[in-house]
Amino acid sequence: MSTPVGSRPALAWVVNISVILLVALWTLPTLGILVSSLRDKDQLAVSGWWTALTSSERNLVARSAPPEEARLQEGRYVLTGNVFEGNSGEVTGFGISSREPSAFAVGENAELRDGGMLTVDTDGDYTIAYSEKPEPGRGQRIFVSTVEPPKFTTENYENVLFSEGLGKSFINTMTVTIPATVIPILIAAYAAYALAWMEFPGRALLLAAIVGLLVVPLQMSLIPLLRLYNTVGIGKSFIGIWLAHTGFGLPLAIYLLRNYMAGLPREIIESARVDGASDFEIFRKIILPLSFPALASFAIFQFLWVWNDLLVATVFLGNNEEQLVLTGRLRELLGSRGGNWEILTASAFVAIVVPILVFFALQRYLVRGLLAGSVKGG
Amino acid sequence: MAISSTETGPSDGSPGLGAFFRNLVIALGIMAAGIVFAVLCAVAVFSALNTVLPDIKLVQAVLVMVLGVAACFGYFWGSNRLLDMIYPPRGHRVAENINAANGIRPWLFLGPAVIILGIYLVYPVVNSIVLSFYGPSGEHWVGGANYAWLAKDAAFRESMRNNLLWLVVVPAAATFFGLIAAALTDRISWGNVAKSLIFMPMAISFVGASVIWKFIYDYRAEGSEQIGILNAVVTFFGGEPQAWITLPFWNNFFLMVILIWIQTGFAMVILSAALRGIPEETIEAAVIDGASPFQIFYKIKVPQIWGTIAVVWTTITILVLKVFDIVLAMTNGQWGSQVLANYMFDWMFRGLDFGRASTIALVIMAMVTPIMIWNIREARKDMK
Amino acid sequence: MKTSMIVGALALALAGTTAHAADLKFTPGEDARFNWKSYEDFQAEYDFSGQELNIFGPWLSADKDLFESITAFFEEATGATVNYSGSDSFEQQIVIDTQAGSAPNIAIFPQPGLAADLASKGLLVPLGNDTAEWMKDNYAAGQSWVDLGTYKGNDGTDAFFAFPYKADVKSLVWYIPENFEDAGYEVPQTMEELKALSEQIVADGETPWCIGLGSGGATGWPATDWVEDMMLRTQPPEVYDQWVRNEIPFNDERVIAAIEEFGAFARNDDYVDGGAGAVASTDFRDSPKGLFAVPPKCYMHRQASFIPSFFPEGTELGRDADFFYLPAYAEKDLGTPLLGAGTVFAITKDSEVARAFIEFLKTPIAHELWMAQSGFLTPHKGVNADAYSNDALRKQGEILTSATTFRFDGSDLMPGKIGAGAFWTGMIDYVGGKSAEDVASDIQKEWDAIK
Repeated sequence: MSTPVGSRPALAWVVNISVILLVALWTLPTLGILVSSLRDKDQLAVSGWWTALTSSERNLVARSAPPEEARLQEGRYVLTGNVFEGNSGEVTGFGISSREPSAFAVGENAELRDGGMLTVDTDGDYTIAYSEKPEPGRGQRIFVSTVEPPKFTTENYENVLFSEGLGKSFINTMTVTIPATVIPILIAAYAAYALAWMEFPGRALLLAAIVGLLVVPLQMSLIPLLRLYNTVGIGKSFIGIWLAHTGFGLPLAIYLLRNYMAGLPREIIESARVDGASDFEIFRKIILPLSFPALASFAIFQFLWVWNDLLVATVFLGNNEEQLVLTGRLRELLGSRGGNWEILTASAFVAIVVPILVFFALQRYLVRGLLAGSVKGG
Repeated sequence: MAISSTETGPSDGSPGLGAFFRNLVIALGIMAAGIVFAVLCAVAVFSALNTVLPDIKLVQAVLVMVLGVAACFGYFWGSNRLLDMIYPPRGHRVAENINAANGIRPWLFLGPAVIILGIYLVYPVVNSIVLSFYGPSGEHWVGGANYAWLAKDAAFRESMRNNLLWLVVVPAAATFFGLIAAALTDRISWGNVAKSLIFMPMAISFVGASVIWKFIYDYRAEGSEQIGILNAVVTFFGGEPQAWITLPFWNNFFLMVILIWIQTGFAMVILSAALRGIPEETIEAAVIDGASPFQIFYKIKVPQIWGTIAVVWTTITILVLKVFDIVLAMTNGQWGSQVLANYMFDWMFRGLDFGRASTIALVIMAMVTPIMIWNIREARKDMK
Repeated sequence: MKTSMIVGALALALAGTTAHAADLKFTPGEDARFNWKSYEDFQAEYDFSGQELNIFGPWLSADKDLFESITAFFEEATGATVNYSGSDSFEQQIVIDTQAGSAPNIAIFPQPGLAADLASKGLLVPLGNDTAEWMKDNYAAGQSWVDLGTYKGNDGTDAFFAFPYKADVKSLVWYIPENFEDAGYEVPQTMEELKALSEQIVADGETPWCIGLGSGGATGWPATDWVEDMMLRTQPPEVYDQWVRNEIPFNDERVIAAIEEFGAFARNDDYVDGGAGAVASTDFRDSPKGLFAVPPKCYMHRQASFIPSFFPEGTELGRDADFFYLPAYAEKDLGTPLLGAGTVFAITKDSEVARAFIEFLKTPIAHELWMAQSGFLTPHKGVNADAYSNDALRKQGEILTSATTFRFDGSDLMPGKIGAGAFWTGMIDYVGGKSAEDVASDIQKEWDAIK
């Protein structure tokens, strides 16, 4: 553990405030979409999310009931209704032309083109009075300026979550992610141990080659590999995508794990060798437990990478109902609802919830591993 | 696969060439046997379970998952048993057997990794090198024409410039912020909470991150209310709202911020682990000597974790070279923000020219050569 | 790699098909608007019970449901199972799938240019001369549709590869009739009137246009439609064809003039909501919302027939919002040119079922069933126009059939790297302030580079 700084309270303050600032900066973007995703979609489109708690001013357009519904009252034909149509709000002004939505103050009379007199109250009730029976036709447009209380809703999430097939995609993503995380860790751990602690010719060269492979652009390998899959007969299947993620994740896994394992104290391994333990035993009984923090870290990274991947999944899995993963499903949502911030924000948030939960769950082990004090610089 | 046959250089204390090949053959034999064993296990378990379990999608999926993992375990366990059976580490030839087994075992451990790397990465690279000398559909040999075209292409120069910017700014900024965050959060009681929050962007997909940042950079015409926070801040201080991601040159930095935002968490987690691994004694000694916390940090802690900083830097650098999703989603390389990986994608799927796309891919790989050389040096140093 | 083969087979076996009889939207035999005889004839001729047909296209959600409501009739008639899957990244994925050998049976291309690219690599199967002949006879302006689907194969000879089905009309201007009434504006009949109206709206202190070019990775495409429309309104169609085939260079003065015609609208700060600076960064799906704002942010929005999907919920076409034909110059005497687009169906993996599906697309019923729903226009002459579900569609259908000149979206016909790349980028640069000459020269340079 690091040294306490209790002797200098001023410094402790500086540290705390700096961390608060840093955390604020880093969480602000996510907070923005979290708040936005809970807001009413009409408010979301016109005011910043940081104003979510204040009342917002907005111009609305409502349509009155059609003139033929006017009823005779005290010698006039009267139409009544409410501009909010079931919602609530406060009217500050109204108008009869789209250009001047608040030309008239609440309670004033405005003369319509067809001769009616329109008035709107603060609570949104409107009255249109005609002296003669009006021509049947379409209802009049009523423009109102309103002050709306802040509105929050879970509707956006309901739209996203209950859209068709999300559950199925969730299972698909799970099916892809778990083996695609575990398999490379297993394979890489053995390889990393061999590269770190076993003597064999060409070790350095092999390591160099693996580091070099870190930069192979993924896009380059898609077509040759899919072609290979089709020749072998795997085609687009889960086994194909597991192996693909394994292949693409291996260089980083081997690189990170080898660096970590190479930093483990030599004495432990030497003494185990002297005691007659085989490499297989040393690996299983000493290296693997000691490397737990590194394994956990890589597991987190690989999990996040696979979970969030879209490119590999679209290539090696089909786009059909049986194989579509979560990111693909969300992309569909984005594509068909591109202009709707409420769908975008809610779906983006749905997509990040599971990885964040996994991180928090694994983090305990990560920290426990770290506290064992077995970490040394690469 | 291709690699193992080229690893012929004898090194200190290793057996001769003949022994090496003999080991290799045995290793391959055992590997094959191991794989067969693993598959047999998997199939046996599968058919046994399949008759018992009901035909539900989720159950089947879990089953297949277990099988994949079991096959892996099966291979490592099985191949090791086999090796021990061939060269039992007991009896009258203990020493020889152990030696022989030790020559083979590394290859058993490395085998699956080497095979998978060979198929998934080496083969495509070789394929790219070949394709870079061919025309659009990979049928006509064009010699160095693709390279000549690249040298003269303006968009390529722009991508190079941007990529170099990314290479300098992003790893430096992410490592720097990561180090600061690691050092600071280790000193406070709610450090783990803070860490989790800073790490959180790592958990967000690029698709998600693009949505989040589009929301930040959102631009509404002057006069109407801004819903992007950056423009809201700018207008609050009396500035003019800007369409940030369309400002040539500067938009590169706005895109980089996204990746820095994501990668700082990675740097922080790794560096924090390294910082905690520094032996207490060195720090206590410094404290007793009256060193200030800043001096301790820069003069004692940072040098000790220099190796880890390098690893973090390398990893982020490599990620930057491949950065593609962010640019594709935010600007698609327009407004002068093109980068190599996206430019390659562009030629591959929009230009349908695999020759040129491969050539650009090779440039990306070539750019990492310095990092590779440095890493080989480090690896050699370690092994001495 | 035996492991992978066997486990792969297991995985494949798990992904069993879930064939279910789709519900038919309309009951065969009922409703006189439909040509049920063509359906029954088709049903009598084919039987593919137990066989599968894989179709891959760009349509998602609502469009996907619509298309599947059509394929349901094919399934019912032949007994085959149709698996349609759609993707937002269709353009990339079809390249990967065809190149790698896991192509679907039929691919639906929104961009004929991409189909042409794939045809030249031998990845499409020719549909044969009979189909081309059929199209010439049965589609209005048949030859132009045949041309749309005719590309050079990998042997270098022209063949008919792609069957156009489902058309869109692009030369439309959307507006809100009541806002026009409030302000006393009339629907313009000529380009001159349109420009005068724009001026008048500016003089009234308002903004005439909403233009948004943003579209994620495809940002810029709406501008290419503008330029093409302007090209057709300033030059005879022959020049348009030459431009699309690059027989005249992109930086020809006539093309530059058309770009500047577009610039007269988009680069005029008074003309566009948010000023010229906002054009490139406003999402095309967001931009029509300005029409509906209170007070209106703009009065007109030029966009293709699909745009009502992005109107506010509950908008009633024809009443709450309507469209007029983007008029031509009265003085240029070029008639009423129309810009359109269409999706083309091509066979990427040959099978009898795939062939039969193309035959199905020839039947009037395959068109009428979609006409009766939404978002579908057809040049098929043998269909009953009464089948159109609403007046807006019927009006668009009329615009489609009454145009004196009909041309396809040029950017879809150009090679992908230009029509879905350099042209887009160029238009972004242009609205960003670069000169039309520079932009056009850059695009031409890029075109030279891929020749």
